Amino acid sequence: MEHLRWRPSVNEREFIESALQSDLRVDGRHSFDFRKLKISFGREDGSSEVQLGETHVLGYVTAQLVQPYRDRPNEGTLAIFTEFSPMADPAFESGRPGESAIELGRVIDRGLRESRAVDMESLCVVAGKQVWSVRVDLHILDNGGNLIDAANIAALAALSTFRRPECTVGGDDGQQVIVHDPEVRDPLPLTIHHMPIAVTFAYFGEGNIVVVDPTYKEEAVVGGRMTATINSNGDICAIQKAGGEGVMSSVVMQCLRIASVKAADITSKIKKAVDSYTTEKALKKVKRLPASLPQKINVTDVTMEDKGDGELETQTVKTPSDVQEISKDPATTGKASSHEDAQPMLAESSNAEVKITSSSGAAGESEEAQEIGSPKSLKDAIKPKHKRKKNKK
Amino acid sequence: MESRKPPPSPLVDSYVVPGDVVLDLSEMTNQTIKLGTGLRQECDTIQATSAGMLRLSKPNKYWVESSQKRYVPSVEDTVLGVVVDTKPDNFLVDIKGPNVAFLPVLSFEGGTRRNIPKFEIGTLIYARVVKANSFMNPELSCMDAAGKAAEFGQLKGGYMFDTSTGMSRMLLSSPTCPVLEALGKKLSFEIAVGLNGRVWVNAPAPSTVILVSNAIMRSESLSGIKQRAMVENLLERLS
Repeated sequence: MEHLRWRPSVNEREFIESALQSDLRVDGRHSFDFRKLKISFGREDGSSEVQLGETHVLGYVTAQLVQPYRDRPNEGTLAIFTEFSPMADPAFESGRPGESAIELGRVIDRGLRESRAVDMESLCVVAGKQVWSVRVDLHILDNGGNLIDAANIAALAALSTFRRPECTVGGDDGQQVIVHDPEVRDPLPLTIHHMPIAVTFAYFGEGNIVVVDPTYKEEAVVGGRMTATINSNGDICAIQKAGGEGVMSSVVMQCLRIASVKAADITSKIKKAVDSYTTEKALKKVKRLPASLPQKINVTDVTMEDKGDGELETQTVKTPSDVQEISKDPATTGKASSHEDAQPMLAESSNAEVKITSSSGAAGESEEAQEIGSPKSLKDAIKPKHKRKKNKK
Repeated sequence: MESRKPPPSPLVDSYVVPGDVVLDLSEMTNQTIKLGTGLRQECDTIQATSAGMLRLSKPNKYWVESSQKRYVPSVEDTVLGVVVDTKPDNFLVDIKGPNVAFLPVLSFEGGTRRNIPKFEIGTLIYARVVKANSFMNPELSCMDAAGKAAEFGQLKGGYMFDTSTGMSRMLLSSPTCPVLEALGKKLSFEIAVGLNGRVWVNAPAPSTVILVSNAIMRSESLSGIKQRAMVENLLERLS
């Protein structure tokens, strides 16, 4: 077998142990120091990249509307998926998740879900019918030790920048779900009550020596390991003590005290990174406006022309495909399409109504953005008239 | 036929990437050139197959020096290996290559069937590559060409860490690499560098070993002056 787990040489093992006896770690850190933490974000909301020393983890959050579980009809779902690439560590096998992959997923899942860090009830759209199912994918890109902590931070960072599209309930029976385009209505962030931070401790030499954030090499030599998931308020969300040496309860208590300090520290780091990301994102939005102002003038020009000749109007009224485009909500049209087939006129008119309410409800800014952002500005300009015609019919 | 020197490739001592045409053979007549790693003949041209610095050893040896995590064994390299298994005839040694290397039990100075060294799994060995091709596992030896032990063999104590192959080549370069020179002025330590990107450091005090190893690991992307400054900074913090 070529794919054996990496084992340190005798020299490394002995040196790491003997250095720890004299309170030295091979990377020059103190016992309770974390490695350098770097959090960055992708171009899209809900993706994060965390580097903890050599360890490199990518977090990605997605959401979709699903039917809720029967026993919890008014709660959304949160699921954690892990992906251990053989590129990160030759010991990882592709395809089948290994022992460590399952453990990592479970520990993070327990920390995040069972401590109710993410508000699940706010993810409910229609009780018993449609709820948001949030999926967190964690990709291990490089294994430099202490994957659990890094993956946990990646999950939290991705969740705190994730935005789900806003949706409202409407339609004839009041059960139809309309998912609003992110361009029309600003997507909503998740409600995160608190940040459960995983802090991993490694025990050496019959549990007498404790270090936090073990590196890859230290993990290979370690006698025992414990992960405490704790938030900045000091609430313990989960503890995982997997095998290895037994630890005195006094040591565990000491570890928990250290963990709460570390958790507060890491929470502030995550929040800082998220804040700077969101402000950067907001600034980008602001910058877009002046460039698009001239386009707005164009739009008014088009309306002027339209009033002049009626040809364009009649054209749009003739073709039903255009009517669908006008309602400009891809998700809505997709959802309602079956409905439309049966009673086309009714569905269209109801759709148009929804459109009116949504545009009037949205702030003036978003309406502007809607007009400016889309190349269909011509049709938009005609829309009110066309609707009037429909209503008359 | 007048004997003139082959014109050196214009790319010598500069970075090449796979696909770069290093030499055009059609312009060269009646000359022999020797290709090392990272180069391949493609019809009338010599092309690079890996990214790195193109080197020329006068008069006619070309190779590409690259820095990577994995090691591709080549003959006469000195490497640091870890014993992963023992067989009656061979020790199986991990040298960070694509395959484990064989170290015949008799390839030690004065090695006979009677005095086979006992290496437990995980023993660190400083050895020389004597056979390397893509069809067979590489073969190591703990003797120099003259059959003497010459520093080869088991390394006891100390600490081993991994760097890139480029870093280990830099440490072995002459004149002495700035980081080692700066460290050596203030500290006394023992060091063994394998071309497979493994470095072993030993010193009486563990703190010295940790300092030296971290200084070396950090110096990879630094220039000579920055390396010296970094070492001085580290030494100041220690004292």
